[in-house]
Amino acid sequence: MMKLLSQRLLGPVTLVLLALTVWLGIWVTPPDRIQGNLARLVYVHPAVAWVALYVSFGTATIASGLYLWRRTRSMVMDRVAHCAMEVSAVFIILTLITGSIWGRPTWGVWWAWDARLTSTAILGVFALAYLALRRANDDVEVRARRSAVFALLAAINVPIIHFSVQWWKTLHQNATVFTSTRTLLIHGIMAWTLLISFVAFTLLFFWLLRARYRLEEARDEEVARGLEEALAERQREGVR
Amino acid sequence: MSDTESLDLTPVAAPPTTRRSRRRNVAVFVALFAAVVALLAQGVLHSLNYFDTVDQALATRASLGTTTFRLEGIVAAHTITRTSRGASFWMDGGNAKRVFVDAVGQPPQLFQSNIPVVVLGHFTSRTSDTFDATQILVKHTASYIAAHPSRVRAPNGTVR
Amino acid sequence: MIRLALVVARKDLLIERRSRVLLWQVVPFGLMALLLAGLALGPRGAGHSNAAPGLFYLVMLLVTLLMINRSRAIEGAPGTRSSVATLGIDPASVFLGKSLALAVELWLAGVVILAGAVVALHTALGATATAVPSVVVTLAALACAGTLYGALSGGGEGPATLLPILSFPAFAPLLIAGERSYSAALHGGALWQWWVISLVALVAYLSVGILLYGVLEES
Repeated sequence: MMKLLSQRLLGPVTLVLLALTVWLGIWVTPPDRIQGNLARLVYVHPAVAWVALYVSFGTATIASGLYLWRRTRSMVMDRVAHCAMEVSAVFIILTLITGSIWGRPTWGVWWAWDARLTSTAILGVFALAYLALRRANDDVEVRARRSAVFALLAAINVPIIHFSVQWWKTLHQNATVFTSTRTLLIHGIMAWTLLISFVAFTLLFFWLLRARYRLEEARDEEVARGLEEALAERQREGVR
Repeated sequence: MSDTESLDLTPVAAPPTTRRSRRRNVAVFVALFAAVVALLAQGVLHSLNYFDTVDQALATRASLGTTTFRLEGIVAAHTITRTSRGASFWMDGGNAKRVFVDAVGQPPQLFQSNIPVVVLGHFTSRTSDTFDATQILVKHTASYIAAHPSRVRAPNGTVR
Repeated sequence: MIRLALVVARKDLLIERRSRVLLWQVVPFGLMALLLAGLALGPRGAGHSNAAPGLFYLVMLLVTLLMINRSRAIEGAPGTRSSVATLGIDPASVFLGKSLALAVELWLAGVVILAGAVVALHTALGATATAVPSVVVTLAALACAGTLYGALSGGGEGPATLLPILSFPAFAPLLIAGERSYSAALHGGALWQWWVISLVALVAYLSVGILLYGVLEES
């Protein structure tokens, strides 16, 4: 009952929170003392990056690890990894686009070859490569195993991206929320709007993941049904 | 007795992981860990920096010579002069050290006094503290502070 | 494990020596790519260019891709993989052997391409010699990463276009470390710092390969 209710509510709650983020971000929160209205991108870009790097890529990595572990190996894990990686690829691209849109007026350039930006772009290529790898294999077992190994190898990049602004001097600013001193560098309504945006985009990820998973499940069922029908057809031909 | 009777076709379980291969896996993990520690301890911490700070650059000015690199510092207050080619200003480091920057090209929208910037260019000589820049990038901080245009400015310059 | 790895490496190198694909196809392709890079820079830009180290590694990357596909094609011969599986050969040994063979091939190609860079891009001979230790380590790391990603892409059985997109993100740090190290040798700078990064990458790819090659070959 609770499960059904949460599934039903996921979409509407996500939409409400996204709308709330837009309303607070554009009309309620004040402009920043230095960046002015450009700072409103803080309600989009960090939340999108959070979903891209940690939530969706993290889900894909954990599901891949669980697939490779014999005790938890199942096609459900493979399917979850695939769907999460697909959503991650979209969110990484969005992270790069929103970052560029923010970078041009603040830094003065669309793109800089600093450690944070470059490692994020490399993660994006990893995500696209993962999807290419899946399309290249027809054998379900082979595809699942190779994809899982590749996802684990690609995940090494995530901590590098996270700590890049601490390890190296980068043009990209340091963390505002997940700071090394555990102190928030944003306050009041701006901080609350940022928090809501993180929740909204995280729920959006789960909504998209659920929709994508259902699609993948239906596709697999369709393929299985097609195979069964083809076999039945061949059997009928044999009887005749 | 037929051939099939003499053959034992019962599926056999895969051989258990040997102690040797387990030891090898442990050794591999140790090597991997040592590699990561070495990477963190030595190379990466300094090698992939996007820029040098004013203090770093002035300390190694002789070896830097006139090679092109990125320099970071804070734009000193009341020193910005808009020139026909771009802008010139003093850039402060940490230890009361500063560099004079003569930049070509349009500065970014947020370029102003007391803001951290990264400039691409080179010193004019091995001993000079003048830096010829071809690009100014604004490096904004991670802090977000609400602007309050309605607040009043006291005669001593503080905002209340 | 080491003995078996040496047997696998020897087998791959013997096949290569007989087929001479490296000598007559891959190395000439590398030199041609280097010349094309010089042409792209133009007559003024090619000589003493700051881009020379980057171009060298870019060419070596292309050479690596060709050699990985070649290395996988050897295993793709009918019956080879089933024979290896039946004999119960340790996959880690196969990984080490194939990586060693690929590294030797890349070192040989690297010598020729480095000489080509000295002639065509006017890189200083003495400084290039200083860069050799870092080139050796970086190419060995490329070989290990290449062997691993070759197995991942399916090599001879999978589409050849898959390997570049799978391996380039993994090759990127090696490309950066190698290029910076070579640049430091030519123009001064932190040569050994970058050398250490390549060395660490080599250890990391060796470790991951030993652990995971078996999982990939199982499929």
